[in-house]
Amino acid sequence: MIIDISNLHASVNGTEIIKGLNLQIGPGEVHAIMGPNGSGKSTLAQTLAGKSDYEVTAGTVTYKGADLLALEADERARAGLFLGFQYPVEIPGVSNVYMLKAALNARRKAKGLAEIDSVEFMRFVREKAKLMQLDQSFLSRGVNEGFSGGEKKRNEIFQMAVLEPDLAILDETDSGLDIDALKVVANGVNAQRDGERAFLLITHYQRLLDYIKPDYVHVLANGRIVRSGTHELALELEANGYDGVLAAAG
Amino acid sequence: MAAQHSIQLPADDIRAVWQSAGLSNGVLGGLRSAALDEFLHAGLPGTRNESWKYTNIKRLADELTDYLQYKAPAEPDGSAALDLPDAIHLTFVDGVFSPERSDQKGLPDNVKLTSLADLAEAEPATLQSLFGRLARTHDSALVALNTAFAGNGVALVIADGTTLARPVCITYRSSQANAAAQPRLLVSLGQGSKATVVEHFCSAHPVFVNPVAELHCAADSSLDYYKLQAEHAETWHTAVQYIAAENNARIRTTHVDYGGALARNELKLALKGRGAHAESRGLFMADGTRHVEARLDVRHEAPDTTSRERYRGILAGRARGVFNGRIYVGQDAQKTAAELTNRNLLLSKGAEINTKPELEIYADDVKCAHGSTTGQLDATSLFYLLSRGVDKPTARNMLITAFAAELLTDISVPIIAELARNALESLQADTGGIRT
Repeated sequence: MIIDISNLHASVNGTEIIKGLNLQIGPGEVHAIMGPNGSGKSTLAQTLAGKSDYEVTAGTVTYKGADLLALEADERARAGLFLGFQYPVEIPGVSNVYMLKAALNARRKAKGLAEIDSVEFMRFVREKAKLMQLDQSFLSRGVNEGFSGGEKKRNEIFQMAVLEPDLAILDETDSGLDIDALKVVANGVNAQRDGERAFLLITHYQRLLDYIKPDYVHVLANGRIVRSGTHELALELEANGYDGVLAAAG
Repeated sequence: MAAQHSIQLPADDIRAVWQSAGLSNGVLGGLRSAALDEFLHAGLPGTRNESWKYTNIKRLADELTDYLQYKAPAEPDGSAALDLPDAIHLTFVDGVFSPERSDQKGLPDNVKLTSLADLAEAEPATLQSLFGRLARTHDSALVALNTAFAGNGVALVIADGTTLARPVCITYRSSQANAAAQPRLLVSLGQGSKATVVEHFCSAHPVFVNPVAELHCAADSSLDYYKLQAEHAETWHTAVQYIAAENNARIRTTHVDYGGALARNELKLALKGRGAHAESRGLFMADGTRHVEARLDVRHEAPDTTSRERYRGILAGRARGVFNGRIYVGQDAQKTAAELTNRNLLLSKGAEINTKPELEIYADDVKCAHGSTTGQLDATSLFYLLSRGVDKPTARNMLITAFAAELLTDISVPIIAELARNALESLQADTGGIRT
């Protein structure tokens, strides 16, 4: 088991958003969480990543056998958890490559590996940038500085490819992408599927799942998973809408 | 009789000190004597004076006579000149130009570098045309003080059409505690000429440094000016630069401030000729209980003049910062475009900033904007870096460095950006009452 979430309750500013959520993800699995706006999708992603203003009030999260909730956000990342942001942040003055090198070396150190050699690092990131069809000039630019919406999302997947996480949580990585950009992003994710690495895709639309085939699909409503199924469930959502599926779920 | 809102000074004592310092001789002597009268009449500004509201120099006033007491410059201590191998290096010790510690050889024929005393002897008319023309003693008590007590300063005169490829780097050093330095710099850029001037203040003792620089930029000239203030931690530093830009002159100024106990810099920029353009940027940093003030007064006096001012402050510990930026657009200055921004970062609960950007516009066809923000490190940016596995201290450092680095791009004297980075690192060590 990569992650085992049990009876998770989480609040933001005193308002409970996640209300008793259970989810297990095994190695190599791709899970998709779908749900209407306000169902708690992004809160779940940010809570798992360790955002400090998200308070866990009950439940447990076991990640690779350890208590995830006892770790700070940076420790979770170094332990191989990656969050692809719905709204990637622009950080002018910190170059992409500088941030990535610091991040990668921090992760390597946590694994007991030596710092990566600079030449080797550049070769590695160039290869990954090429995969995501990001121009080499993006590497030296400020993090997401002046990037278009699509470029930002590609940059998230690029970072994921460089950091090689054990569990990648991708929060609405498909939103705001045209079909070509969606394919690039999906290719980037699929290239990272190796039978070990697990993915949690958070999305509003089933369109992404045409390109990244999930093993399981869950419907999140009002802070809980109300239905789980296979890819068929996503197609049912597409056909009947959330209202229809939620009504059927009672 | 001191002017309103000023601090009373022991006028008789100061006059006696002045007389014993032998400053009354020659062409400069007359100017000094008149300036002394003005200074004693004006007194030092108190905090009821609007432009000194947040910067209190009462304690300096109490000790002023002792500071002003004549002390012959000795061998200077501490930091040497900036590592600029190509530069023409000039040195001041305790506010007085030190020719024996300065390069005066190898200058192009069209560039004149001379002490003010030599200039006063050789070309009194040139001196008169440059000295005190921009820095008026009756406008500022500190200019009057500088003028009254100015030892030998330096003049750099660049002929029309001359490009001085090597930067001129002036290092202001100290040789003893409790000295008062009143350095004076005159720069004249001829029509179509080009120069880079770097002023580096690095006292190694607790002293009072009160520099005045006057820079005249003729039509089509281009000035790249840098000032690095890295004074001793107990030094008082009150500086003013006057820059006048004629038609189509291009001015760029970069101020980096991180030293001193109390440091105040005032940049007075007058865009006098049509099409003159100025870019001014400043980075001021303080930690501990330091006080730093950046003042900017940009006057658009002619049509089609443009300016952009970007100032950033970073304050840690219990430091206090003050920013005051004013853009004035005169009646004739149609088609002026000006943009003034000030952003500040407070790294601790005890740090404080008072910021006031101002516009004063008398022309009707202008495009002017100003803005100011003050805050802590952006929590979302911090979380983004953490979520990549970067530890918190490193992530904070990255964001703080980025805040400064954004301003210090395109620097023709890279050592200044490097020193600013080093200063930032020690600033971050002051984590007393850290935020987030």
